[in-house]
Amino acid sequence: MSKLGERLATLLGLSAPVPTRKYTRDAAIVVLPPPAQVRLALTGLEAVVAAGDEVAAHALVARSVPGARWQRRIHTPLGGRVESIAGAVVVRGAPTSAAAAAVHRDPATLDRDAIVTAARDAGIVGLGGGMFPTYAKLTATHPIDTVLVNGCESEPYFTCDHRVLAEHRDEVECGMALAVRAVGATSSAVIDREDYYPAGYERFVVRDRLGREVPPRHLPRDVGALVLNVQSARALHRAVCLGEPLVSRVITVAGGAIARPGNYQVLIGTAVDEVLAACGADATSAAMIIAGGPMMGHQISAGDTIAAGTGGLLAMTAAEVAARVEQPCIRCGRCVDACPVGLPVPLLIERPGPDVLTCFGCGACQYVCPSAIPLAALMRAASAREIRWD
Amino acid sequence: MKGPFLRSPQSTRGLMIQVLIAATPALIAAVVRLGAPAAAMIVSAVAGAVAIEALVHRRQLGDGSAVVSGVIVVLLLPATTPPWLAALAGATAIGLGKAPWGGLGKNPFNPAALARAVLMVVLPAHFFAPMWRWDAVTAASPLSKEVGATAPGWSALILGDVPGCVGQAAPWTIVLGGLILVVLRTIDWRVPLAYLSTIALIAVVLPGGARVAGHAPWLIGDPSIHLFAGGTLIAAFFLLTDPVTAPMSATARVGFAAVAATATMAIRQFTPYPDGAVLAVLVANACTPWFDRVTVERRITPPRAKRSRG
Repeated sequence: MSKLGERLATLLGLSAPVPTRKYTRDAAIVVLPPPAQVRLALTGLEAVVAAGDEVAAHALVARSVPGARWQRRIHTPLGGRVESIAGAVVVRGAPTSAAAAAVHRDPATLDRDAIVTAARDAGIVGLGGGMFPTYAKLTATHPIDTVLVNGCESEPYFTCDHRVLAEHRDEVECGMALAVRAVGATSSAVIDREDYYPAGYERFVVRDRLGREVPPRHLPRDVGALVLNVQSARALHRAVCLGEPLVSRVITVAGGAIARPGNYQVLIGTAVDEVLAACGADATSAAMIIAGGPMMGHQISAGDTIAAGTGGLLAMTAAEVAARVEQPCIRCGRCVDACPVGLPVPLLIERPGPDVLTCFGCGACQYVCPSAIPLAALMRAASAREIRWD
Repeated sequence: MKGPFLRSPQSTRGLMIQVLIAATPALIAAVVRLGAPAAAMIVSAVAGAVAIEALVHRRQLGDGSAVVSGVIVVLLLPATTPPWLAALAGATAIGLGKAPWGGLGKNPFNPAALARAVLMVVLPAHFFAPMWRWDAVTAASPLSKEVGATAPGWSALILGDVPGCVGQAAPWTIVLGGLILVVLRTIDWRVPLAYLSTIALIAVVLPGGARVAGHAPWLIGDPSIHLFAGGTLIAAFFLLTDPVTAPMSATARVGFAAVAATATMAIRQFTPYPDGAVLAVLVANACTPWFDRVTVERRITPPRAKRSRG
């Protein structure tokens, strides 16, 4: 849409209410130098190495506990010495350690099992934030006719998937072709519309592209679609064709307290403060560090690490995230108009029903509320109550 | 803590300030045409509203909604209103229209419209006797059913050479203020559009036979007077757009505005009151819970029935 058209749409109230601020669209991906150590969280996983072991870069360090429903694997991005395996595998890097030589496999020669096995062994997960094992999506028993690669980065500030598409489209498309082979789909497409928030919600990608509604409590696979994040598709390509496990990702680092906002390739397990320091974060003006987007992300501390699902880091100034005093609801209905799934937000908060489970926490209602009522938090609380009751 | 961490720049207080900005051209026009008495009315009405708000909801004073109610009630008062009555109108708006219901956001009726309607019933002499006065000339509203009133032209209607309430001093200033509110997205553009177009439609299609005895004959088939005279424009841009008393969903607001337009025209056509806009706003306000029920509340899936065993 043209700038003028966009303005006109905003003026007439036809456009989505949440702005898509993209300051780093043209910032090419910068590879950050490897950190001295990485910290890989062990939630639901058990380490296969012991403290004191020497490991090579890209070596397997943790996997699912026996009997787990899905097989997850974690590989170390750094070669070096295992410092600790308590709660997280901490690997201190040795500069001389090199990764195993890449293999080169022709995707056209691979069958379904080879692709799924490679994805599983490489520990590929959903890099859009869900972190669901990708191999499990590829082995779905439902008939799937369409593979959609989700490049709809509708969160404000976020541009990392856009840059990956701009710079590595061939890799993304190879990953998409592999997914098509794995599930026996007949069509595929890369979707990158960002014209409204939250266009990137999986269900909306399927609806907008295929005209198929994914019913509540169902998944895209139930309507014959497989949705992969851009970077997951790229990781799938790298795992299958190059034998590279999931050890790095591209994130957007932005916010008012960042001197050099941009898109950075970082190793999974890197400490947040190291990434921020490398991007010129001003510790005194950063009032809040957010992992994920400004709409659906969460506040983290500088000591946390980059996870596979961390799409970006935002170091926001106090002015950017200024809290306002909550005021009485004036029934203006902006939240109802803003809700992308059409929920009567204030009524559901008053009397929670099963509908609250349709809410996926996009936060548009809270964004538009002129009375600064924490609607998203209230909806989360209502959902939690409903799930417990259920 | 979880997101969203961003907030729309639009705040409740900001909305009130935007309404005040939008009302300013009309207030200036009133002072220009009526002089000091208009200024006295504005000050007294706002003082009356703020005084009651300070008494009942001191902590909500900062949101500016009492000032807004005071200013809007002035727009609805006859040009001859004395300051004490303006103060009483402001006090009634808050004291009867808002405070007893629990303050901001809880009142079912627009406070300014309610105050004007109540005072019109309680003190009819001040609202009907010497009717309207511009430039020391007393005349009847073109909407009134009296014999002797004449049909004004378009230019008179838009520029305000038509007797009416304070907000009628220059109708174009109300339109200007309304456009400011639409552009700033303070109000939903659908409301004035639906209200004014329904009024125009009814005015055009209204059969001549439906008119009551003594009805001004020029009111038939000509929408201009219905649109620009009386409180039509004020209702369209400043009363029906009050978020508190309008339905929550955008589609329901269109129906709500159509109800208000129908009620306006019905009052003008079938009752002795010259202007139906203010009463029609109250009628539409009364329909708001119903509109919410059939639109927003209908979207709620009822809780699942407990599965029976066996």
